[in-house]
Amino acid sequence: MKLTTRATLDKLFTGVTGLSIVLLSLVLIAVLGPMVYRGSSAVLFNGTVEFRKMQRELFNRGDEKELEGEIAQTETFRQGVYAKIDAFKRGIDIDAMSDRVRQINREYGKELRYKNTPTEEYTELRSRSRDIRDILEETFESQDIALIEDNVMEVLQAAQDPNFLGTCAEEYFTIARNFLAAAKQVDLSRYHEYVAALEEVELLLFGSNEHNGLLGPRPEEPTRAMARVRYGATRSDQMRELLDRFLVAEQWVPAEGTDSLVKVRTPRVEQFEGTSLASLFPYVEENIEKLLNPRFTFYWQFFVDDNVNSHYFGGVGPEILGTVFITVLGMVFVVPLGVIAAAYLVECSSDGWIIRLIRMCINTLAGVPSIVFGLFGLAFFVLFLFPLLGFEQKPCILAASLTLALLTLPVMIRASEEAIRTVPQSYKEGSLALGASRFRTFMTVILPAALPGILTGVILSLSRVAGETAPILFTGAVSLGPVPKSMFDPTRTLSYGSYDMAVGDRLAMMVPHNQYGMVVTLIMLILILNAMAIVLRSRVFKKLKGH
Amino acid sequence: MREKEEPMPVSTTASEISKSDVKTTVVLGSQPARPAKAPASESLEAVIRSKDFSLYYGAKAGVQDITMDIYPRSVTAIIGPSGCGKSTFLRSINRMNDLIPHVRTEGVLAVDGHDIYDKRTNLVSLRQQVGMVFQKPNPFPKSIFDNIAYGPRLQGVRRRGELQHVVEQSLKAAAIWDEVKDDLKKSALALSGGQQQRLCIARALATRPRVLLMDEPCSALDPIATGRIEDLIGQLQSSYTIVIVTHNMQQAARVSERAAFFCLGELVEYDLTTKIFSNPSKKQTEDYVTGRFG
Repeated sequence: MKLTTRATLDKLFTGVTGLSIVLLSLVLIAVLGPMVYRGSSAVLFNGTVEFRKMQRELFNRGDEKELEGEIAQTETFRQGVYAKIDAFKRGIDIDAMSDRVRQINREYGKELRYKNTPTEEYTELRSRSRDIRDILEETFESQDIALIEDNVMEVLQAAQDPNFLGTCAEEYFTIARNFLAAAKQVDLSRYHEYVAALEEVELLLFGSNEHNGLLGPRPEEPTRAMARVRYGATRSDQMRELLDRFLVAEQWVPAEGTDSLVKVRTPRVEQFEGTSLASLFPYVEENIEKLLNPRFTFYWQFFVDDNVNSHYFGGVGPEILGTVFITVLGMVFVVPLGVIAAAYLVECSSDGWIIRLIRMCINTLAGVPSIVFGLFGLAFFVLFLFPLLGFEQKPCILAASLTLALLTLPVMIRASEEAIRTVPQSYKEGSLALGASRFRTFMTVILPAALPGILTGVILSLSRVAGETAPILFTGAVSLGPVPKSMFDPTRTLSYGSYDMAVGDRLAMMVPHNQYGMVVTLIMLILILNAMAIVLRSRVFKKLKGH
Repeated sequence: MREKEEPMPVSTTASEISKSDVKTTVVLGSQPARPAKAPASESLEAVIRSKDFSLYYGAKAGVQDITMDIYPRSVTAIIGPSGCGKSTFLRSINRMNDLIPHVRTEGVLAVDGHDIYDKRTNLVSLRQQVGMVFQKPNPFPKSIFDNIAYGPRLQGVRRRGELQHVVEQSLKAAAIWDEVKDDLKKSALALSGGQQQRLCIARALATRPRVLLMDEPCSALDPIATGRIEDLIGQLQSSYTIVIVTHNMQQAARVSERAAFFCLGELVEYDLTTKIFSNPSKKQTEDYVTGRFG
């Protein structure tokens, strides 16, 4: 072969190798990039005043004075919303008005009795009150504007009656006036529609005991039971989404001529065309920033906070703790066990059929699905071994760590075996020639020299242990629960938490940032643990090489 | 197969290779040539006694029926072509062959009058009595200090001061103290090949052995480092019994008092080095030392 051809081939080979590395990195970035991007939104986002309110109340964090000022500021803009809705509600909510009218009638009766009104007068006034009530109720049901006008006028004739002045019956007239004013503005045939639409608007703005609203509950409302519905939109992305749902109604309607449904988006403002409430929508849209005051937030406490209401708020602190705990404990079991097994395979055994059998078993073990290990851990550690040793028969960190140690034992054994085997024979000879026993030789010369290779095994095992879900499914992981106090308690972990949020949690779809945040935290944690092991390995390696 | 080494000058008769000659011509920067030692050790009791000693790897014989006495405070060289069992015999003296599976011995190999292949032999104390230096320098991946202190620590020496003393003595005895005294904490692997080999000698000396086995200690070293090691061997022979396996016949002639010629697992001839090189009694030996065979 000519020298130039050879050089070209060499270069080509280098190029191809380099290219493949670049490609691999690109693929890695392509996979990790979007994930990290989405996961980072759990920590870096625009938090609204509702977020700060939540942090203050649930985590006792942030400056109270400053927050109060901020809330007051947003409240001034929110008053506009409240006023518009209340004004509209007064003329539109037939059921509420009917209820109120009936209530006034009863209260008026009580008031008369309380004043010791003579019986005849009492009977007469009660009957007049009943009449007014009946007229009003009829009026509310009516869709004829002329009739409404007549009825209201009739009711208002009694407005100057001293018997009613200064009593609770005065409210009859206020309601009547408001209703007339409202009725004049709207299409009466759509009354019931307005009522339903208004209910939806209120739900979207203020939330309910099940749903979050854009602005959160009104200040006068009693505190809701679930923490997650006590606040409005806490993040600007959530704010945009809820705002969109508030401004535009989405409906699935049958497409013409087919059975299929199509999504139709209609601006909600159209539902209130011509009413006083129509001005609410542009008001909210224009003032959304002032209503919620979003600003950039670095929520680093995501990594230490406990979660609230199944990861609706809060962070993954206990999950990180649990993962680290299980991983480290698993390593504590697997490293000595793996090294001892490897030492036996390399140092203490001849190549008999027993060794071949053991090797075969190890290789088979490496191929067993992880869920099988989970079931084994449940059956052996939790249900059999723990009661035998007098521990409580329940899934716990110890059982999970042991199961994970078992799972990754083959990896550890193989890596350690390779590492021990590659220690130069001359080290061993040198030590033995000085009179050291085989055990001493192994401990003082071979093991330190094999340490970098053993640490490679640790790195491989570490990632596996930290990321596995199936083996801890039955042996020690829970999706929610208290922070473990000892290794005999079950714990939350990042891997199981991610799995649980993905499959078992209806709420998770509302907080994808937390879901991604948890997965990315797991990746980061494994990276950090690996980086630590790699640094340690390179240090040991350098020390061995004497640089 | 011919060994790759400097061929013996054919014109030179073996008798002309006096030690002082070699010193002045080959060893560079060495100390003044030491006076040729009178071969007076015959009267002494032999330290290592081998009687009809054979070693088998399974069915194959490594060495067969070796009978030779090795005398104290002298250098005994074992020469011979590759695969003749030189190293096997050397390694038998501190039972390093035990590491190899299916090894079996016959006959007697005694150190200080004790048969080392006896069941009651304490391997640890045997190996501390009989130190070994290997072909390739094999310092442990530890600091220089820890390398030397390895043997004493095995013997149970724990006190820092005592260890320091032993380390210094050993390094001085191995003529490397001046080079490493300032960085005893440095890794031994950072030293050069020649330094590493002298370190290994120092390490072997630190257990205070009576016998020092050297398995081609200079074959991985350049001529200057080789010269240093040879000087060192010259200095050590006044206090240790040294058995050295070498391929390099000039080296054997330079450093040893007696020489044993092995061929095909058998001891062909064992006599004073001067005699082996000048007037061997066997034709085979003569062929080998003059370069006609091997």
